[in-house]
Amino acid sequence: MKHLKPLNKKARLMEKAAEDGKTEEVFAMQTVAGCSSTLDPGWEVDPLGGVAWLCQPMEADLYGCSDPCWWPAQVADTLNTYPDWNTDADSAQRDWRKLQAVFPKNK
Amino acid sequence: MRTEIGGHMHRLTIAALGAAILSAAGGAAEAKEYILTAVKPDKLVMVDPAAREVAKVYTVPDSTPGVLTITPSPDGRIAYVLVNRWESISGIDLETGKQVFRADFSTGDVRTKGMFGMTISPDGSEIFIFQSPVRLHSGEYEVLDTRIAVYRTADGIGAKPVRTFPAPRRTAILTNSNDGKKLYAVNWDITVMDPQTGAVLDVHKVRNWGRANHSEPDVLDVWPQWEQADIFSTPYYAVRTDVAMDHPEAFQTGMLTLDLESREFVMENYEPTAAIIFSTVVNPVRRNEVYGVYTTLSKIDIEKDELVKRVDLDHTYYTINVSGDGKEVYVGGTMDDISVYDSETLEKIGEIRMPGGADQALASMRMIER
Repeated sequence: MKHLKPLNKKARLMEKAAEDGKTEEVFAMQTVAGCSSTLDPGWEVDPLGGVAWLCQPMEADLYGCSDPCWWPAQVADTLNTYPDWNTDADSAQRDWRKLQAVFPKNK
Repeated sequence: MRTEIGGHMHRLTIAALGAAILSAAGGAAEAKEYILTAVKPDKLVMVDPAAREVAKVYTVPDSTPGVLTITPSPDGRIAYVLVNRWESISGIDLETGKQVFRADFSTGDVRTKGMFGMTISPDGSEIFIFQSPVRLHSGEYEVLDTRIAVYRTADGIGAKPVRTFPAPRRTAILTNSNDGKKLYAVNWDITVMDPQTGAVLDVHKVRNWGRANHSEPDVLDVWPQWEQADIFSTPYYAVRTDVAMDHPEAFQTGMLTLDLESREFVMENYEPTAAIIFSTVVNPVRRNEVYGVYTTLSKIDIEKDELVKRVDLDHTYYTINVSGDGKEVYVGGTMDDISVYDSETLEKIGEIRMPGGADQALASMRMIER
């Protein structure tokens, strides 16, 4: 942390977590679920930086990502923030046209 | 290498024995095997795998956007399902379709989610659920300590926890030893707890395995599917640190098994990583065979620690289970079908379509006898 200076409250909390030896609370991966608690490579790439190991087709994995808030930046989460995002779209492959982009309500 | 533990009397054996006695005594109907899964937005689905068709569809009240974890009662009469955006357990009577149990977790300003991990005591009297509570303040969310909550199934609608105890964050699988004396919480490690008090009795080290010339292993497992062989299994991934990163043996896949009868815990590499596997199941008859699923279906020999066969699937599946006679493998989750594979050859031998063409998404796929 010696090269980083916290600029806001959250960043200061992060720094304090490091000082208190609690950085493992935000450590990446291994059997976690919920908003922002994972640090997988990303929605569009697999562990090798390609796409061959991604779910096929991507619709097979879409609700598996929205329901547990697995990719909160890339996929609307139905766990907390956008609970009705896939209402009336029981099949991602068939009903994908009903799925809309979402935007934060408050800036 | 694993050692074969002899002399087990597994649940299926007991069930088969019971059925034989009942049949001899009065011609009672023989127990039949079914698959339990769920589809969006609120349906619990019972499948007859022998007939290759859906046997019954149940509507779970207040369950959208879908059913997550499915925990059948040991007698196969009730399915306890995690629903309502993971904030409630609903118990559905599989004969009548009625909701006979309901526990809603969130109260006041504390929003509580059940995070995948759920199991039931061997006598069917208590449900264990891993919970992550958050207090909702006006300006921020306060993350509270994670815990395991215990509910009495007899408490029915409106059940409240009869006890809670702390549990490690990141727990996503709960299961118990067949005698009910140990509760296993699978997180970064596997924490062995006293199911009555929550006291930590032991820890099977996973991430903290400290194995020479290996990185920390990585595990992702959220699907309960150990009921046929009474063995919890999950793949893990690790990197060898004694060879260059571009060495063909550098990335290793291994299999973790926890025998719920003998309590034997094993982690062994079996192949240089060549495919992603999301979840696995152990064959209850040829107990050295483990099947793993994602976009391929793999058969792994855990006595020889080697990959036996791998075939491409029609699409990605999350969940996998196996028939009680060990002859058929079922792959499910994600989309609107369960596909059936021959466990010997890994040839596709059947397909069962879900009602309304709806997705199973993350729902568990459990085997029951009733």
